[in-house]
Amino acid sequence: MSQSTVNILRRADDQEVVATLRDGIKPEDLAAIEREWGPYRAKIKQELVRLGIDKRTWPQSLHWDWSKKGPELKLLESSGFIIEFEGATQGIMLTKTASYVSRLEGGKPLVYIDYLESAPWNWNVQELQRKGEFRGVGSVLFYVAVLQSEQEGFRGRVGLHALPQAESFYAGKECRMTKLGLDANKQNLPYYELSRKEAQEHLSDGGEK
Amino acid sequence: MATKRTMTFNLTDPEMTALEELASKKDLSKTAVLRQALRLYQMVDLRLERGEKLVFEDKGEKKAELVVL
Repeated sequence: MSQSTVNILRRADDQEVVATLRDGIKPEDLAAIEREWGPYRAKIKQELVRLGIDKRTWPQSLHWDWSKKGPELKLLESSGFIIEFEGATQGIMLTKTASYVSRLEGGKPLVYIDYLESAPWNWNVQELQRKGEFRGVGSVLFYVAVLQSEQEGFRGRVGLHALPQAESFYAGKECRMTKLGLDANKQNLPYYELSRKEAQEHLSDGGEK
Repeated sequence: MATKRTMTFNLTDPEMTALEELASKKDLSKTAVLRQALRLYQMVDLRLERGEKLVFEDKGEKKAELVVL
């Protein structure tokens, strides 16, 4: 396991804070994260139900349970990364390096982002007029995936299936990914890829927008 | 990043040729190809152990189950 520092933005005072990025996450870490995040998810869900908000607009990862994703980390191809600040897990990402190959670049290897989520207290939930505490967690984790791809010798190529609510993030200036249509083999989710060229641009500006 | 350990690896000419071809085709170093091969082998082996099947499908949707030793 190793750790380094990353910057995320605190919304309250619009100031960057120095957080810790850790890799080498283990299944037991995922169980701990779910214990930490679960009550916040439950609170958000409770509020959405109480206000009678249409389910179609609920945060689409509201039902995720990190404690169930532990077995994935036993594979050599799997890696887990978390961002911590003041003792709390601000975001997490699981990646894979062998299960998927590039569709844009003729079957060449890529880092596939299996799951990426910011802590529930960092979510913007418009229907609840709720703003997240920290911003930039997703961007940092995405940059880490591009960096992992570069370090693996995959030239920065990254692929993922996006939840529809996250499409603007992946297609936008923060990630600059290319949409390659809906994937019937993956719950009809849109598939996105970052090409070698786009990755090099992303890395050269340090993931800055 | 995890600590790396070194081992010597002896290959026959055809094996080395295949490795070099794959490395060139996949735009990877030879070490990275072998690392990918190991990851895939482990993943396939674990999934077969769980009772899943490995199936190849051609464009005509003809399926063939692959037996992995």
